Amino acid sequence: MSDPNFLTLENLTLAYGDTVAVKDLNLTIGKGELVAFLGPSGCGKTTTMRAIAGLLSPASGHVKLDGADITRVSANKRNVGLMFQSYALFPHLSVYENVAFGLRLKKTPAAELDKRVRAGITSVGLSDYADRKPGELSGGQQQRVALARSMVMEPKVLLLDEPLSNLDARLRLDMRSELQRVQKETGVTMIFVTHDQGEALSLADRIVVMKRGAIEQIGSPEDIYNRPTSAFVADFVGFENIFELSDGRLKTPKGPVELSGPVPIAAGLAWRPRMVTLGSGPFQGTVRGASFAGNSREYLLDTPLGPIKAEVDAALPPHELGAELAFDLPVGTAAQLSTFG
Amino acid sequence: MFQNRAEALALALPAALFAAAVFIAPVVILLSDGFRAPGGGWTISAYTEFFSSSLNQAVFLRTLKLGVLVTIVAAVIGYAAAFAIVSLEPGKKGKVTGLIVLPLMISPVARTYAWIVILGRTGIVNQAFQALGISEAPLRILFSETAIFIGLLQLFLPLMIISLISALENMPKDAIPAARVLGANWFQVFWKVILPLTKEGVVIGGTLVFTGCLTAYITPAILGGSKVLMLETLLYQQVTVSNNFVAASVIALILIVMSFAANILLKRVATARNKTMRNTKGTAQ
Amino acid sequence: MMARNLFIPITLGLVITFLIGPFLIIVAASFSAGETLAFPPQGFSLRWIAKVFTVESFRDSFYMSMFLAIGGTLAALILGIPASYALSRYKLPGAETIRTIVSAPIIVPGIIVGLSLLRYIVVPFQVGITLALFLAHTALILPYAVRVVSASLGNLRSDIEEAAVLLGSSRLGAFFRVVLPNIRGGIMSAFILGFVTSFNQVPVSLFLSGPGVRTLPVDMIAYMEIVFDPSVAALSALLAFMSIGIVFLAERFLGFSRYV
Repeated sequence: MSDPNFLTLENLTLAYGDTVAVKDLNLTIGKGELVAFLGPSGCGKTTTMRAIAGLLSPASGHVKLDGADITRVSANKRNVGLMFQSYALFPHLSVYENVAFGLRLKKTPAAELDKRVRAGITSVGLSDYADRKPGELSGGQQQRVALARSMVMEPKVLLLDEPLSNLDARLRLDMRSELQRVQKETGVTMIFVTHDQGEALSLADRIVVMKRGAIEQIGSPEDIYNRPTSAFVADFVGFENIFELSDGRLKTPKGPVELSGPVPIAAGLAWRPRMVTLGSGPFQGTVRGASFAGNSREYLLDTPLGPIKAEVDAALPPHELGAELAFDLPVGTAAQLSTFG
Repeated sequence: MFQNRAEALALALPAALFAAAVFIAPVVILLSDGFRAPGGGWTISAYTEFFSSSLNQAVFLRTLKLGVLVTIVAAVIGYAAAFAIVSLEPGKKGKVTGLIVLPLMISPVARTYAWIVILGRTGIVNQAFQALGISEAPLRILFSETAIFIGLLQLFLPLMIISLISALENMPKDAIPAARVLGANWFQVFWKVILPLTKEGVVIGGTLVFTGCLTAYITPAILGGSKVLMLETLLYQQVTVSNNFVAASVIALILIVMSFAANILLKRVATARNKTMRNTKGTAQ
Repeated sequence: MMARNLFIPITLGLVITFLIGPFLIIVAASFSAGETLAFPPQGFSLRWIAKVFTVESFRDSFYMSMFLAIGGTLAALILGIPASYALSRYKLPGAETIRTIVSAPIIVPGIIVGLSLLRYIVVPFQVGITLALFLAHTALILPYAVRVVSASLGNLRSDIEEAAVLLGSSRLGAFFRVVLPNIRGGIMSAFILGFVTSFNQVPVSLFLSGPGVRTLPVDMIAYMEIVFDPSVAALSALLAFMSIGIVFLAERFLGFSRYV
């Protein structure tokens, strides 16, 4: 990673008319990083991406790329690539001409243009389809054309809008490895936007979780998955049992509850279903729901703490609906949330 | 969606300003003429005067009557034709639809002119009538309301058929078999299923046909002659024969109000049907 | 099921006869050898078709109608394409008002458009009849142009323009490189629809005629009032074949009906 400040967003505020979509955002991305913007729709991730591309000019703040302030540089002069969610291929042009589009605008000499376009098309495995129109290709092929069209420009940053969401399970795997290959071969800085935590966790070097126009947490996939710092992120990455702490006790709908063991100083604690100890512990719950999920069984318990979700190994004997079970929320394994709400 | 307001206005304004200057402004001034009092100020005396003339009343009622009649007959024939067309196989359907649309591409002058040959004193109809012994002397069909009616119907029937074809095609495929299975006869199927489901098509087609009848000039001019006037031909006469621009303005506003009223009325009828349908659904559950 | 089997052909036969029959009679009558318009035609000759080409006023008014149909449609497209683009691609304040203004000429009876133009544009501003006709026909075609072009813009994704910009194109360049080529069919359809509408238009042009300046349909009506020979039938038939030919070719090569 040669330049840790390759792309910086400084106090970036973005608005559509009077609606503020992103407020005072600061972020630094290093050269060659693969970063995911993760969040639910409306969190500002796509808006931020459009601002980096130059399709939206910020209400205030700065975008700096490779040492230059590009805040006022128009989108066609930034050399930032964007692979659209819909691919946005030009329907009237062949695959070849789609890929050649940007190079023709740059008045690239014919021989070099042809070489680069062919290389680009070959690298995504579509050399037999160069003369086809986008309408004659499958969704997965269209996306690879879009990728080649962006990459042939050798962009400083490649932005990808929900790159895997339109694909079926098998094509997802293909595209994921395709993107990793491209990144490894070219070292291009990639930012992709997604609402799917699985996508972000499996693909990114670093994840930026966003909520209502602000960054909620930045971290490695391991950080985000294991150590969410807010109830929002915890919920987003699958912590089903989330509690606020006050005076060292869990806040529940039926009043404060003491935990066993020393309680850390935090705003809240969160447990994944499989972190819940079932069969022993200080708490009692009634089984309200049970489902079999292959390797494991999931239980929904009615407890004085409110509903609790627990997951245990499927090899263990099943519990009946209505059974009374003891359980524990071990403090040691809980994710410690520094902000709640 | 792009945000740049100035750019958008720069693109849209030339067309809007052009239409406003060349079309809206002159029309609005023309319409205001009908309310101008001779000494200055405003009055509706031109309107009371217009409607006090029995000739004008007759022309107004004739226009209304022919418009309504042509619309209703077009809807009845239109349903039969549209229904027949949508039940054809795809290849034939396209060709027949093409034949229905074809007349729309032909000049109304040519289309109306043909009726002179057919309905005239020595026209085909009279020849046939005389040959069959139905009438001794040639009948006077031309320059009558009947002639105008036939001409207008032929002119605007395609618009109704096309609207109904697309309405019938958008109807859920199983609606008719479902109603039949539930025991509805064909009359009930039409009244309870087809009509409610295609009412939007009738409204669009009806509006097109009715406004078409109001605004048609050539057909009443050629087939009605100078005696059997409609509002359009009366307007033309007022300007060219009597130089009465105030009357022309009055007629213009009446025409515009009539077509807007028809549009609103038809939409109202369609939504009213909708409401009763929703209500019965509500009570059934 | 017998009744239904007969219902379809009988209904369609009657309707098509009613709609197309008169036109066929016109075509037949124009081959008549007789002096007056009649059917069945008296004998066979091409004299009336030949005569159409010798009537001087027909020739002048044909050129006039051609000029109006082509010029008016082009002008309407030049105004209408940017407007359609703005209406479909921008968040525009007052978009509905603009749409209403631009499509208003379709709602108001043509005869009123012609008269108001005569009274309040031609007379006060000393505008020539030809120019007035041109303005009127442009205004008349504008709603069709906007409607058809808007429909074809609506079928085109707008993010391809952003894609073009990110690949280095300017906004204007993106319009010409990726928007225009993809709405070409819609524009051609708008042109044909505008052409046919303008060419067949009578009421708008009725009051807008001067010495030697008339559109062809208006001229035909004037001719009919004086002479009742089959030459108008012949001309009608010729014009009809022209319109049908254009529309047929358009459908063949552009899929015209997709846009209308």
